[in-house]
Amino acid sequence: MTEQSRIDIRQVTKLYGRAKAVNNVDLTIDGGAYCCMIGPSGCGKTTLLRMIAGHETPTSGTISIGGTDVTTTRTGSRGTALMFQNYALFPHLSLTDNVAFSLRVKGVRADERRQAAREMLERVQLLHLADRVPSELSGGQQQRVALARALINKPKVLLLDEPLSALDEFLRLKMRVELKRLQNDLGITFIHVTHTQPEAIALADQVVVMDHGLIEQAASPREIYNRPHSPYVARFMGGQNVLSGRVESTDGATAVVAGPNGLTYDLSVGPEVRSGQELRFSVRRDRIGTTTGAVPRNGLSGTVTNIEYQGTFVKVALDTGLDEEFIIYMDDEAYFARPRDVGEVVHAEWNPALNHHLPGANNSAGTPHED
Amino acid sequence: MSQSTPTRRGADFYILAAFFGLFVLFLYGPMLMIFILSFQGPTGGLTFPMRGVSTHWFHDLWSSSRYGDLGGAFRRSLILGVMAMLITATVCLFAALGFRRRFWGAGPIFYLSIISLIVPGILLGLGISQLFQILGLRLSWWLSGLGAHLSWTLPFGLLIMFAVLNRFDGSWEEAARDAGAHPWQVLRLVTVPILFPGLIAVALFGFTLSYDEMPRSLLTVGGKNTLPIEISNMTTNVTTPALYAIGTVTSAVSFLVIALAFAGIAIIQRQRSRAKRGKN
Amino acid sequence: MSARSPGSGSQLTPYLQVAPLALLILALVGIPIGTVFMLSFWESDGISVYPAFTWQNYHDVLTASVTLSLFANTLKYAAIVLVATVLIGFTCSYFLVFHVRNLKWQIGLFLLCTIPFWTSNVIRMVSWIPFLGREGLFNQMLMQAGLISQPLDILLYSDFAVVLTYIHLFTLFMIVPIFNSMAKINPNLIEAARDAGANPFQILTGIIIPLSKTGIALGSIFVVTLVMGDFFVVRVMSGGQSASVVSAMKNEIDQLFYPQASAMAVLLVLVVVLMVSAILRVVDIRAELAR
Repeated sequence: MTEQSRIDIRQVTKLYGRAKAVNNVDLTIDGGAYCCMIGPSGCGKTTLLRMIAGHETPTSGTISIGGTDVTTTRTGSRGTALMFQNYALFPHLSLTDNVAFSLRVKGVRADERRQAAREMLERVQLLHLADRVPSELSGGQQQRVALARALINKPKVLLLDEPLSALDEFLRLKMRVELKRLQNDLGITFIHVTHTQPEAIALADQVVVMDHGLIEQAASPREIYNRPHSPYVARFMGGQNVLSGRVESTDGATAVVAGPNGLTYDLSVGPEVRSGQELRFSVRRDRIGTTTGAVPRNGLSGTVTNIEYQGTFVKVALDTGLDEEFIIYMDDEAYFARPRDVGEVVHAEWNPALNHHLPGANNSAGTPHED
Repeated sequence: MSQSTPTRRGADFYILAAFFGLFVLFLYGPMLMIFILSFQGPTGGLTFPMRGVSTHWFHDLWSSSRYGDLGGAFRRSLILGVMAMLITATVCLFAALGFRRRFWGAGPIFYLSIISLIVPGILLGLGISQLFQILGLRLSWWLSGLGAHLSWTLPFGLLIMFAVLNRFDGSWEEAARDAGAHPWQVLRLVTVPILFPGLIAVALFGFTLSYDEMPRSLLTVGGKNTLPIEISNMTTNVTTPALYAIGTVTSAVSFLVIALAFAGIAIIQRQRSRAKRGKN
Repeated sequence: MSARSPGSGSQLTPYLQVAPLALLILALVGIPIGTVFMLSFWESDGISVYPAFTWQNYHDVLTASVTLSLFANTLKYAAIVLVATVLIGFTCSYFLVFHVRNLKWQIGLFLLCTIPFWTSNVIRMVSWIPFLGREGLFNQMLMQAGLISQPLDILLYSDFAVVLTYIHLFTLFMIVPIFNSMAKINPNLIEAARDAGANPFQILTGIIIPLSKTGIALGSIFVVTLVMGDFFVVRVMSGGQSASVVSAMKNEIDQLFYPQASAMAVLLVLVVVLMVSAILRVVDIRAELAR
């Protein structure tokens, strides 16, 4: 089963006029994996999803599902099913007929297909509404019907286009759990497009970060979160501060990096890093501590510009004289033991082992701060 | 549609409501009068007072030979109406679907359709009849007449289909394709059923515009007249309430068709927004 | 690799879909108009029509003094009817959109206004005769109320009757586009204006009228072309005393002077197109129809 639902995307490009919506992308998604594609609006994630579904054709490149080249195969015959962002339930049909639609198209008899549809509706706990029409349902209920409609054909790959965006916060978290459980039960590949980072790392076995038609990084959630490849990924996924500096010396495993404000950092690097090289690195925001005085090494000082309470931690933003804000996630008890004011000077320090070298340049030209 | 916070109506509401009421009276009043007058007594004239109430003039229409071939004209108008209705609905449905994509010639075809609405009907009638003449074809109500009617109904149908398609979500068709439907299945199972109320509206326009059409028909029907032409002839040479009687009859047909169309649309809307309860 | 989208059909599909309409419109509108244009250069002696190329017809039409008076008369009707229908149509639409709160009532009353459109114009015109005549209902009512001692003659078979009938028939064409434009006005704009202290008159002139411009323009195009193109109402309701450009055209057609009628028709279309273009400068119709 897993080999059947493996997806290979090779050198796929999609042009609209001269705009490259998807720019020469290579990606492998294992069969049976939950893959989340994440990025800002216009990054190409939805276009890529639709090309896998067959609703768009690549301008060049190939897409294979289960080893079979489906690049020009008609949608509906590739073993994929798309769950639309606005659900796209047929307004003129009852829920039963909505779910049974793909069976009807194949010529299955009315009683047989209605029975199968009802079983599907039962699985998503909507059997009691089987004869209603979509306009009478809430958003969450409509989504479950859309799921049932997509799954009745036993697709090898389920494609979800921002499935949780239209739901309120509470329902979103609840449905997240449902989706994960469903994918586990079915064992098929899920490809889920979202622009919410916590959602992506919560659900996925594989996170694909995209920007401007390119893949910035495709890896497990932990890898993306802890060891981002480029400044873009580090910034986009949140939770990391990005710093830059020049290598003063390196012994092939650790480098001493001079930051712009005269501070020094110890950074584990690979052998390809040379002395004198400019590089970037990141530090996790929740692993940063504070001290009473300025530290010369693996630390930073700045003035508080903003304080945000987030329940389990407090977000303290510092102006360090550099381009970007430096943000510390302080444990809430630690913060309230000694609260800070805007304008106060804070001295941060951290374990040098937390410095993570960002080996990749951004593939694309954008930053997450741009629209 | 402002939901203004004050719940009490100001004076302006009552003034405007009165104005609107007068306008509705202005619209319907005269017609109501000739309905009443069509039941004029046998000795009555074209105006009030009513000298008795009778269906005399209706019988007169039927039996007298003074009024030309009213029965035949009525029949022809009905047939033309149905033909125009069916052709307009089908052609405009597909054309509007086609207009969703960009294609060469889209602009000119659209503007030519609009031009048909702007030029005087009689000009088009002249053009069609002379075209037939030049080509050596005979004018007939079911060919040149139908053509003239279509020149009037097709642009209207197109504009209405545009408005209807504006509210139509293309993702329904995508969802159908995603489920494996072929283009004809998409059309049959999804597009047309969802658009059906809009199609009823186009059909309504197609029928009534053709049924009541006169300027374009005048020169293109050939030997046999349609009902509107007969009625317009009657305005000049009939001096009895029989004119009102035929007015009542033809308006009754129009109202019947309108009622059927509205009922059809209402039924479908009701079905799509309410449950069929208790059919588990 | 082709850039065809397999989902929405081939590149050929829209052409196939529009083809029936395109062929019919070409055959029933394009070519006939071309025929009339061609006819305007032909000759006729009142018995048959001869293919030719002569400017004589245009010369005759343009130099005849009656042509100017015909156009003036027709334009006079168009102007009066336009002003009246704008005022009435705007007021009724304003009432429906901004003062009727229940959506069902709004749509119901709107449909009430449109229903007469689906009945015969000839009948609607005729229905004014028993009302306006010397022995008509209106005169009777006025006399009974003691307002007048003699029946008013000018009500029927006069310019008044013609204009009244035009207003009766064509106000709907003003109501529909204006209603449409007004309904699209975001109610938040009006709330915001009220918050900022605007009084109802300022809201009307500052927000509602500008945003209804498109509807007024569209309605004006309809009303103007309908009045300019009429030959029947003007003849019947004026009792034959008045004429319009198209009614004169019809006369020529009846006498088989097709080329002369065609020349007049071409002239009329030019004038109407000029008027429509002038109105279109105010608004982008294509965008409006697409909304």
